[in-house]
Amino acid sequence: MANTNVKEYSPQVSSAKSRLTWLWSEYSVIIAFIIIFIASTIMNPRFLDINNQLNILMQVSIIGIVALGMTVVMLSGGIDLSVGSVLALVGVITVLALNASGSILVGIFTALVVGSFAGFLNGLMVAKGRIASFIATLGMMAAARSIALYIAEGGSVSGEVKGFTAIANNDLWIFDYPVLIFFAMTALVYILMHKTRFGRYVYALGSNEKAAMLSAIRVDRIKIAVYSLAGLLVSVAAIIETSRLNSISSSSSGVQYELDAIAAVIIGGTRMTGGRGKIIGTLFGVLILGILNNMMNLMNVSPYLQGFVKGLIIIIAVVFQKRE
Amino acid sequence: MTKNPYITMKNMKKSFNGVPVLKNVTLQIEKGEIHALLGENGAGKSTLMNILGGVHQPDNGSIYINDKEVKMSNPRISQEQGISFIHQELNMVTDLKVYENMFLGSELRNKMGFLKVEEMCQQTHDILAKLGVDIDPKEYVRNLATSYKQLIEISKALLHKSTIIIMDEPTTSLAEHEVNRLFELMKNLKKSGISIIYISHKLKEIKAVCDRYTVLRDGEMIKSGDVEQEDLDTITKLMVGKSISQNRFVHEHTFGPVLLEVNNLTSFGLFKNIHFQVKKGEIVGFTGLAGDGRTELFESLFGYRKKYTGEIKINNQLIKIDHPRKAVEAGIGLVPKDRKENAIIKDLSVIHNMSLSSIGNFEKSGFILDNAERDKFQYYKELLNIKVHNPRITIDKLSGGNQQKVIIAKWLEVGADILIFDNPTQGIDVGAKQEIYQQIVALAEQGKSVIILSSEAPEVMRICHTINVMYQGEITARFNGEEATEEEIMHYATGSKREAAKIG
Repeated sequence: MANTNVKEYSPQVSSAKSRLTWLWSEYSVIIAFIIIFIASTIMNPRFLDINNQLNILMQVSIIGIVALGMTVVMLSGGIDLSVGSVLALVGVITVLALNASGSILVGIFTALVVGSFAGFLNGLMVAKGRIASFIATLGMMAAARSIALYIAEGGSVSGEVKGFTAIANNDLWIFDYPVLIFFAMTALVYILMHKTRFGRYVYALGSNEKAAMLSAIRVDRIKIAVYSLAGLLVSVAAIIETSRLNSISSSSSGVQYELDAIAAVIIGGTRMTGGRGKIIGTLFGVLILGILNNMMNLMNVSPYLQGFVKGLIIIIAVVFQKRE
Repeated sequence: MTKNPYITMKNMKKSFNGVPVLKNVTLQIEKGEIHALLGENGAGKSTLMNILGGVHQPDNGSIYINDKEVKMSNPRISQEQGISFIHQELNMVTDLKVYENMFLGSELRNKMGFLKVEEMCQQTHDILAKLGVDIDPKEYVRNLATSYKQLIEISKALLHKSTIIIMDEPTTSLAEHEVNRLFELMKNLKKSGISIIYISHKLKEIKAVCDRYTVLRDGEMIKSGDVEQEDLDTITKLMVGKSISQNRFVHEHTFGPVLLEVNNLTSFGLFKNIHFQVKKGEIVGFTGLAGDGRTELFESLFGYRKKYTGEIKINNQLIKIDHPRKAVEAGIGLVPKDRKENAIIKDLSVIHNMSLSSIGNFEKSGFILDNAERDKFQYYKELLNIKVHNPRITIDKLSGGNQQKVIIAKWLEVGADILIFDNPTQGIDVGAKQEIYQQIVALAEQGKSVIILSSEAPEVMRICHTINVMYQGEITARFNGEEATEEEIMHYATGSKREAAKIG
């Protein structure tokens, strides 16, 4: 189960006395997750079924990987609206490269290059062009989608290379590859953010950019790296998305992914203005969204109403965090 | 003392957190006079004026207007009593038009609730005309020069039919001809029976425009009298006093060779033609009034500002610094002023703030070693006497003095040879102040070059070997730390004296 997989990453508490208050203030999202999990178990017996659980994990893995990158961007004090469009663009170009070369490796490599380059451009606009991240990535969102549509002439492109679908459709023991990739990415981003200087600098810059600069941090370079990393993670998500059905739609793939990713990050407790938040929080934010979707399907809630429930949960989560 | 004062603030007492800021101050203002309120930083001028403006409540004492007692329980009441406070930073909404700013919060509306634009414009125009200013009431404030903004503030005061206008250092951002225009205006206002309380450090201006003065020092009223009967020297002496000079830190040692040399550093509008040298083991101070350009000068030297010309030499080697990283690589460290905005990262822990600029010291194959950071912090905790129980809490939970010590630890860890301290004891209690001074002196004894920026002359006099005085972006005097007197520093800092020959 997800939470047992993740426990080992949580840092140790130094003082046993403050443990409880610390737990609540730092990890309220985990408590919320447990409450929702128990409530779901009571409300519908099919929820706890192992296949249903694995299904939830499979469904959240793509948005989860995107949300990891979004967390880093938001910790730095920015936002990335372009993730959904870039995912579609990466997918389209990847399929073309795959079909042209016949090599899965070339396809994957192309995906990683295109995604991180789009992110790099975002970073360049934000850091060197001094454009607000909301505006810069809004522009990228429109532009990337447009290029994807142009290349695919508005339709879908399908892969013709045998074996590419294995990435998203094989499993190891009971876990599908995408779930394993998601967990591996979570672990990597966690280590990057909490054990390396890059992570430390991102937190510093999101908390107080001027003080970070006066602390001799190369703020511009860190920003560019942050958006490039987000782009790189989007390409990983794009590879899975493309591989799952062996095709990608230039018009509908990745639509509204930015909203789901931002929602997961916010539910996970990351502050909109940056400097505060945790990768672990985003993981649970993603899982909460996954459980909600799953429960609404199990309980036959009209798909038209599902957005309403999701919106409500996001707002409740934020109000809850404000109180602390 | 005046026989018939218009406004009297009698026996004012006020303490903040048990520290007395005003000790029995009495201030009397006559109708139709310009009254200078003088004193050094921290003398209690702003507190006194904030009481008059209804921002603070006095612990003791009463205010009389025309012999009638009034209680200024909030700024609104103060305004209704005819008092207008024009702050140093102008309170203008620059994206609104002139008339909109004039009537902000008291807009004229017709019965339907719509704004009476034409009438507001007319009234604005009338008042501006009375002041002899030609501004279109429909012009956006952002398009106006600073001096005009000041005039609009004054017009606003007239619109509210104010009888007393408090001006807090109104001329800091004005050019000379604008200052003259302001003075003309003040004299006109005086003739129409309005009283002005004028706060300024620039004694020449006091002489030019004020009728009477009151000097505050350490929260006490020292003297009140006619400006004409005193010369500038006497007033300076009154402001500075003699009691406050504290002992110098004794730290005589021989200096090493010149480590930092700055030639002809200029940045348009901020500072110009800056020359100075700092030797190894030397403590060099820079002092002056607010807005003298010293902070900008050293932010440029540190690479935070890039638009400057001139040369910077370290160890006789010319270097170009265009980012703080380059400054650190060249061996320069900066403990900035306004700790909250510029120095601390409030969401990071105490330990992480300490290690932020030197993470390389705590890394092994790309990963940060928590234990190494913690051990190093323990070392600084003892060295600097940092009082913190659990260093993993965020730094904003510490007191100002302890925060400052963490920031100093951060720069010690970088191992800079040249350390710049900008207002190092801002908002710090006396005990921690002493410890920080001792630490600075110890650094110099270890052979580091130290630069202290401070608006408080006594501070630089206590610890510096050499003192530079700045006025409007230029170094106007350079003293040996032992020979400098506070009065003399004040002369050069206020621009009442300027002696190029003093600068070697």
